[in-house]
Amino acid sequence: MNNSAILKSLLASDKDIIIYRNSEKNNFELYTDFIEKINLNINNLDKFLNKLDKFKAKKKYDCYIGFFGYELLCKNLNLTVNKDKHAFPEGVFFRPQTKIVIDSKIDIFTKSKLDLIKSLKPLKNSKNISKNKIKVSPSVENYEKIFNKFKKNIKAGETYQIKIAQKYSNKKDLDIAKLFFQLMKKNLSPESFCIRTKEFNVISCSPENLFKVKGNKIVTSPIAGTVSRKKIKSTKQARQFFENNQKEDKEHNMIVDLERNDLSRITKPSSVKIQKLKFVQKYQYIYHNVSDISGTLHEKVKLSQIVKAMMPGGSVIGCPKINTLKLLNKEEKEPRRIYTGSFGYFRSIKDMSFNIIIRSILNFNNNNEVFVASGVILDSTAKNEYHENFLKAKSLLDLLK
Amino acid sequence: MKLLLIDHEDSFTYNLAHLLSSFGKLEVKNYYDVKESTVKKSDIIIFSPGPGKPLDYPISLEIYEKFKTKKKIIGICLGFQLIANGEGGIISKQEKIFHGYQTYIRTNNKSLRFPNNHMYQVGRYHSLKLKEPFDSSSMHITMRCEETNVAMCLESHTNDICGLQFHPDSFLTPNGKQFISKIIQFKK
Repeated sequence: MNNSAILKSLLASDKDIIIYRNSEKNNFELYTDFIEKINLNINNLDKFLNKLDKFKAKKKYDCYIGFFGYELLCKNLNLTVNKDKHAFPEGVFFRPQTKIVIDSKIDIFTKSKLDLIKSLKPLKNSKNISKNKIKVSPSVENYEKIFNKFKKNIKAGETYQIKIAQKYSNKKDLDIAKLFFQLMKKNLSPESFCIRTKEFNVISCSPENLFKVKGNKIVTSPIAGTVSRKKIKSTKQARQFFENNQKEDKEHNMIVDLERNDLSRITKPSSVKIQKLKFVQKYQYIYHNVSDISGTLHEKVKLSQIVKAMMPGGSVIGCPKINTLKLLNKEEKEPRRIYTGSFGYFRSIKDMSFNIIIRSILNFNNNNEVFVASGVILDSTAKNEYHENFLKAKSLLDLLK
Repeated sequence: MKLLLIDHEDSFTYNLAHLLSSFGKLEVKNYYDVKESTVKKSDIIIFSPGPGKPLDYPISLEIYEKFKTKKKIIGICLGFQLIANGEGGIISKQEKIFHGYQTYIRTNNKSLRFPNNHMYQVGRYHSLKLKEPFDSSSMHITMRCEETNVAMCLESHTNDICGLQFHPDSFLTPNGKQFISKIIQFKK
């Protein structure tokens, strides 16, 4: 069996896999043969993070890869969250023994190629659940209610920026790996990933990195500002739009200061620098306004401190983070699960990367769910934002049709 | 020199902490965790920015009342409003809210710490403002917003207290450190 045939039957098999886009190398990395799977909850989170402080990957395939869900990250900040009626894992990390680099050629790094080949069994036929109407929660009416409540909170200075999330869901069987590569053809986002397990599946075309650590340097690249490519035809025009648009510009300023703050909790004094302020990135349907901010980590920094300082990522929540999360958790009724959590890998305390999970489909309990959020702005109306949410969800909703 | 930064769980507190840390040994404490013994041991008390209004933070108001004649006190944003409230001022909503704005402010001749009639560009994050008229025998408004005339700095002429409504910690305030430096170096 050559590498390409192995990959093909692996994708068609019933094995648990994770695929993560590597935007620096412009390829995909597939992980499988998991020897450890850790289901995280608030009681074992610190123990897991402390264990990782001492972990150093030696083999090419070795790492911990997985996600921290939103509810877990809130609990980690001592905030109360809504109970999840279904027992969705609050966070899961896997330790692979095989890594396949999918590029113009396919490279396999594995403990045992023979074991890998032997383990490939074809996927059972899916149940073929017929497709269903897309449900939206909250309804327009409830969304408007929450929106107007948050407007009052902004006027009273209780939050400076807050993003309400909406959930779109339907029932339909998805071929996760196939769908993921389909999506990548249309919308190749730098932080895309997919997780296929027997318990749940995730496909995400996240554009946003939360932080990367290389050596003692940490970089965060928040996105704040989105505009439709229907209205704007070039990157240059998008830059002008963001510069002239008061709302987008002020939102962005706030997130830059917020991220500077979060980095400052774990970095050496005066080491936090804005590397690149407000640059434009182009996607399938939209332009984004992005900044890069970096810092030098404290010498004895622990992973638990990094997670606490940075997660959940502020740009998708609002500002100030703690009080805004409190307001959100009071009004939002649907558990966010993976949405606005973080997915990434950890190879050592000096080599890790985590994104913000947005633009994602979670397939769990025979349901597909997609969340999108947009900010409450005083001079904006609930209906406008409702529409903006739909725009953001479009490329994912198209797949669920 | 020992500095105590009282954090009102803001997402800008640690920007301020990095600015302050070059002036002495800095300790950051959550507003609900501050012990009086820690306050007593500190030379400078700094009230951080934060969400909401001064009356949401009775513990911080109490610390201000107890130590306003004894220690150097600095307030930023909400901290400025805490000082104003402690001096009998009223904090009210403003028509136009300033979140993530960069605007000009101007000093006046009441300032002891900053040169008169000087313009600065500053970053701002506030929904609320000090309601005027504000009458205080010891506390003076020494900077105002060029656009709205809203109070941007309060300085005491009798005690070592200074509050800034804007954010010296923001990247929108060029040379933000000079504001902190002037306040810290000021001697009554």
